[in-house]
Amino acid sequence: MRLAFLLLILIPFAGWAQLCSFRVAGKVEDERGIPLAGATLVLTKENKGVIADESGKFEFTQLCAGKYEVEIRYVGYQTITTSLKVPFNKPWTIRMESDSTSLNEIVIEDKHTNVALTSTYSSLSGKLLEETMGKSLGESMREIPGVNSIQTGPAIFKPVIHGVHSQRVLILNNGIRQEGQNWGVEHAPEVDQFIASNIIVIKDAAAIKYGADALGGVVLVNPAKLPTEAGIGGQLHTIVASNNGSGVISGFLEGGSKKWPGFGWRTQGTIKKAGDARASNYVLSNTGFEEQNFSLSTAYHKEKSGIDVFYSHFNTSIGILRGTAVETADDLANALERSVPQYTTAFTYDIKQPRQSVQHDLIKINAHLEKGKNEFRLQYGLQSNRRTEYDFRLGALTEIPALGFQLYTHTLDAEWQRTHSSRWQSSWGINALYQTNSKVDGTQTIPFIPNFDHITTGVFLVEKLTLRQWMLELGLRYDVKKYDLAGFDFKNKLYRSSIDFQNASGTVSVKRKLNNTSTFTSSISSAWRPPNMAELYSIGTHQSAASIEYGLLLNEITSEVKPYEKSGVKVEKALKWVVGYKVDRPRFTTEITGYVNYIFDFIYLKPRGVTQGLRGIFPYFRYTQTDASFMGIDFFSNYRINSFWTLTGKASYLRATDETQNDYLVFIPANRVDVGIRYESNSEKKWSWSAESKVRWVANQSRAPQVITPRQIIDALAQGIDLVSQRPGNFDFKAAPDGYALLSLSVGATCKLKNSKCEIRLSADNLTNQSFREYTNRLRYFADDVGRNITLGVHYSF
Amino acid sequence: MKSLRFVFLALMSWSLVFLTGCSKDDPKPENIPEAITKATLTFTPTTGDPVVVTATDSDGDGPNVRVLSGPINLAKNMPYTLTITLINELAATTAPEYNVTAEVEEEADEHLFFFAWTNNTFSNPTGNGNIDSRADVVNYNDKDTKNLPLGLSTAWIASGTASSGKFRILLKHQPGLKSATSTSADGESDLDVEFDLAVN
Repeated sequence: MRLAFLLLILIPFAGWAQLCSFRVAGKVEDERGIPLAGATLVLTKENKGVIADESGKFEFTQLCAGKYEVEIRYVGYQTITTSLKVPFNKPWTIRMESDSTSLNEIVIEDKHTNVALTSTYSSLSGKLLEETMGKSLGESMREIPGVNSIQTGPAIFKPVIHGVHSQRVLILNNGIRQEGQNWGVEHAPEVDQFIASNIIVIKDAAAIKYGADALGGVVLVNPAKLPTEAGIGGQLHTIVASNNGSGVISGFLEGGSKKWPGFGWRTQGTIKKAGDARASNYVLSNTGFEEQNFSLSTAYHKEKSGIDVFYSHFNTSIGILRGTAVETADDLANALERSVPQYTTAFTYDIKQPRQSVQHDLIKINAHLEKGKNEFRLQYGLQSNRRTEYDFRLGALTEIPALGFQLYTHTLDAEWQRTHSSRWQSSWGINALYQTNSKVDGTQTIPFIPNFDHITTGVFLVEKLTLRQWMLELGLRYDVKKYDLAGFDFKNKLYRSSIDFQNASGTVSVKRKLNNTSTFTSSISSAWRPPNMAELYSIGTHQSAASIEYGLLLNEITSEVKPYEKSGVKVEKALKWVVGYKVDRPRFTTEITGYVNYIFDFIYLKPRGVTQGLRGIFPYFRYTQTDASFMGIDFFSNYRINSFWTLTGKASYLRATDETQNDYLVFIPANRVDVGIRYESNSEKKWSWSAESKVRWVANQSRAPQVITPRQIIDALAQGIDLVSQRPGNFDFKAAPDGYALLSLSVGATCKLKNSKCEIRLSADNLTNQSFREYTNRLRYFADDVGRNITLGVHYSF
Repeated sequence: MKSLRFVFLALMSWSLVFLTGCSKDDPKPENIPEAITKATLTFTPTTGDPVVVTATDSDGDGPNVRVLSGPINLAKNMPYTLTITLINELAATTAPEYNVTAEVEEEADEHLFFFAWTNNTFSNPTGNGNIDSRADVVNYNDKDTKNLPLGLSTAWIASGTASSGKFRILLKHQPGLKSATSTSADGESDLDVEFDLAVN
């Protein structure tokens, strides 16, 4: 019945009036027989279409006898155009070949990812995703237009969507809300990128069924579907890189059963090890990392029901550039003035302090059932996230984490979807979350955030209407959240509090099909997010911050903890308007997204002054609320010159403003443009070749706040002047770095064997070994970014 | 429907396994051994009563500004031995963390005190101290295991003429960096205070 709805979306209603009743059904699969969920089949002349379901099955109904022209499309596969003679009574199996020249991916709704058809999204899958293998999730996502990252060195990347990040970006790992200590800028998502078969970014916060707090957008990390038929398949990837001497091995094995059709399993694992990265002129000491991940999944699917069980384990240890460990304004002033960071030593694989260690485990059980016009889905997830951070400390304390938290999160999601008629579909659902955060005992520091129990219950309703070329979607959501917490203030005195939040959010979006190849979407959505524990209660310093941070609930004079109700602190609320235009022609595709996101009571760390302790002078920051606006345009396009050459272009423009202070915000990604040209030899032969050259140009961030250097602060203080309070507004310790351009080249060879495929790719990033600094990399205060990196990858799949 | 029942069962059992009591109930307070809350400078003259000044910051990294006593009143031409003691009043007096001086002594090869003062306030050492230039003279009485100076104890002779000025001490933590030439810009600051000084 879901299928029937999909059918409707692509079929103009005029077509339904005909009195024809033939049915053609079949299945779409890839070369390996794996079903291609979401493949589209369009009767081109009649402009009728259907989408293959999760097992690749499709069905045309109400066809008249006669000859039809059918076009079958799937992202990353060569489009098939064929003719179909109706009546056609046997099951039709369509086998699609992967298309290595496909650069633009338009991911079509599939059951698990459940992207609303009217939403504005971009994705990374197929060839493009393969090319990012070996990189972290946050780094790979930079290939998606409109997505950047905020970095802490070469290994810690957090995705930034339309200028906002951390808790304003919701990540769904295999359908489960990723929950970790994501309040910290240096806390990257704990997801093995190799699990993903596609990564989708929903940019219009319309993902109302996932939560109310996606002010920036939602990231969906989706694994491939499990096999449902007998046979064994697998992939093995090995990647080595020159810059940090890294090695990556990742692979999976999967299979189905002859005895129990519909039963499938997969076991997957990744090991990464990297030493110090190198800037163009020196080693970035202590930037190595290692990662060991594995996952197991199994599923049993019948025609109308199914159950999935998934377990994953993620374990990483990451070093942070030694030269960033500064204490006082004086240390920071010295660090900013050095041409080579302090403590730079010879290349090593050793990871010493400052470093972080994170373990993340996820168990997920998911079931769905179809009954008549109804479909039910139920999903439970349990996550354990343990984070410890080590710093240089007095004596033996160096071996004890300076920060440690254990977070357990239970999530339960239930959804009931009903297809009332061919034009109208509703879904109702409930999301429940129960979370406990505890400090790791024995850190011998005042815990940065309190222990807490957190319960959220949210209910949502989504209505979808289809009217000829128009699709309309309305969503409403209401959430109630409760936090019970206990922490320690700066005197190490216990405080307790209980805070409730509740609010509604909603979305309205429309999509208009302009013609066969282009669509226009527009949506307005609201979202809200309560301040997180760090924003409310943080006190002190944390890794590579070189500053003292005070939360919203700390009294400005006494630093005592205030009760939330009397504090005047508000929840963050966003109103985002997104318009999108997509053209998808055989030789030319383009995607333009424009957005305005106005965030009321936006919470950010504002520099407020300097404080003098016995260790010296510290700049201190207070979490502050302001109104902020983010507006911009993302652009993506590719043009196939002929069957061998393709041109690609990508650009993002962003303008962020602190509206209350009429000022700029710090760490807003600079505008950038990527252009590339790609050559592909005939992919039907046994051996095929490809080569690509890309240039990334990043502008200087001219919309950056004033600069006050730590040296200026110290010198002024010596004359009794507190420069920070004297020059209100936002500021940064160092001017935004110059713009830069990076060149990358890659060559690849693919060998198709009978039942397997082998690929070798050699690529060079920052080929000219340019020294540069990225504005959104927090290491830019101390060191250059990563220099030339040559990567060799060998991929084998069978 | 069988499958749904299974989900619920699985769900219940996991919940039982993982619902470990409420995290917020009774978090254990941590000792916070690293802060220095009080630095005491004792100038002991060869004859007479010692001159004692203190720098106090009772809340460690908390927001309160440190409080200095002083000025350091020294007698003309008098030789002094300066000893520095560092304590952490956030720890119990019996805890090893209380005595930061001992911790610094233990890690003498990673720590170094630097000094700066207004020119001519001392006849020995002369000059203005080694914060601006490591090569400038400071009379260290103590050494680490590598025979490099430490500075918990230093020797001074006040100037023969009355004057007033400033006296600054800076303790640097220089793990792997401390050498005969490491400067006040190397490593991280553990203590940095400046007192008023008068020679009468």
